[in-house]
Amino acid sequence: MILEIVPLTPSLLEFPFEWHYVRSIIYVSLYVSLVAVALSTLFSLPVAMLVGFSEFRGKQLVTAVINTGMGLPSVVVGLAVLFTVSNQGPLGSFDLVFTTEAMIMSQFVLAAPVITGVSLAAVGSVEGGVRDAAYAMGGTRLDVALVTIKEARYGIATAVLAGFGRAISEVGSVLIVGGNIAGPDGTSKTRTLTTAIQLEARQGRFETAMLLGAVLLALVLLVNGILVRLGSGSGTGGVR
Amino acid sequence: MSLEEPVVAHRSTPSGEPILEAADLYHGFDGEAVLEGLDLTVNAGEVLAIIGPSGVGKSTLLRLLGLFERPDRGSIALEGTDVWATTDRKRLASRRRVGTVFQAANLFDASVRRNVTYGRRIRRSWRDRVRHEIDALLGRATVDEPVIQALETVGLADALEQDAASLSGGEAQRVAFARALAYDPDVLLLDEPTSDLDPRNTAVIEDAVRAARARGIGVAIATHDMHQAERVADRTAVMLGGAVTEIGPTERVFESPRDDRTRQFIDGELVY
Repeated sequence: MILEIVPLTPSLLEFPFEWHYVRSIIYVSLYVSLVAVALSTLFSLPVAMLVGFSEFRGKQLVTAVINTGMGLPSVVVGLAVLFTVSNQGPLGSFDLVFTTEAMIMSQFVLAAPVITGVSLAAVGSVEGGVRDAAYAMGGTRLDVALVTIKEARYGIATAVLAGFGRAISEVGSVLIVGGNIAGPDGTSKTRTLTTAIQLEARQGRFETAMLLGAVLLALVLLVNGILVRLGSGSGTGGVR
Repeated sequence: MSLEEPVVAHRSTPSGEPILEAADLYHGFDGEAVLEGLDLTVNAGEVLAIIGPSGVGKSTLLRLLGLFERPDRGSIALEGTDVWATTDRKRLASRRRVGTVFQAANLFDASVRRNVTYGRRIRRSWRDRVRHEIDALLGRATVDEPVIQALETVGLADALEQDAASLSGGEAQRVAFARALAYDPDVLLLDEPTSDLDPRNTAVIEDAVRAARARGIGVAIATHDMHQAERVADRTAVMLGGAVTEIGPTERVFESPRDDRTRQFIDGELVY
């Protein structure tokens, strides 16, 4: 009997553009997710502070809406963003269909409720006495807000990383609004790790799909590692 | 200059003169009256104890005196100026001359140094604050002398770089006191500051109260501990039914109260 030795690792030589292809996909994934999370954070943090600090009629409803937003179905978000940027939509004139900008928009919509909701919980968990102390020492409203952010820093960092996790592992909406496009030379235009995995698996190129999956898993693990590290550091300070 | 030194030349109100005055204060929550026509004066360089049963409104009064909230009616004046009849900027300036220490220490999740320097830091310009933060990150920041002095007053000068979370309850409260002393307020409001402390930490806080008085600070201390009032207060005000029923030199108030309800309260006969 002749034994065939099967290599345990996929031969990348079978795909002459493989590394270039993989690198460009990682770049697009990180670019879209990081920009979306940065914009979401800039939007979500003030909203969380505003809702967390003020007492108004309907506050519980607003909080419920934010929490509901955390579970938004990504394909529905993708559909809504696609309509918004399509020729019939309000942003049709900007020609954003199948662009990274449209993908950023959809990931913004998905990440913002997560960052807002978790930040709101973190801000709400800061004891009123600490805010009173800052005020008692002559702090302005801005000073008190800064103290609150600092006290809630671990929770807010968790919120941002959770938003990043939601964005980077998202497949439905980026597929709809990005179109999963790669150029003829294998350079990703709007192809992300998740959409590429879906495509490669569908076309039977399991080695590439698994390689991309491993990269995605490594990124998610990295994010979770940071989360765990932050969690274990809570209560001990950080920058003193 | 030591904090214990009775040098008060920089204060605009001489010791013994009124610095913070509440007149005809009315305040309540959800339609329920807590303060009903309360009058009170805190003098510079004296300790005024405010005693009364639990729930009588001592904490509410201190929150109003600390300018945390506006009274429903009546006025609060700092050196004769009604603080609620001025601009926001002037009111902030007034608020920054009043310090408050609460029953709970409420320390920030940071080092003792960051806690005690906070009051001084926020009084600087934003430019100085940013520069100070950069210096702190680079390990170049120096500690102001008043911060060291304030910590010396509460016996915790060695704890400067310690994590606030690692302090005992008594130490944390002493840091909270130092935090207020460090920015040298003209008035210090203390809301049951020793109710959770052991005798040793209580003694340290009481010594710090005397040190603040020696510096010309007007101290108002709300306490349910009548012995503490006798130990530290020059004058004592008794609060009953949302108003001050008796105020005067501590010894006189305890020895021969003029108001019948005050006498019953001091003798433990008042049912409330």
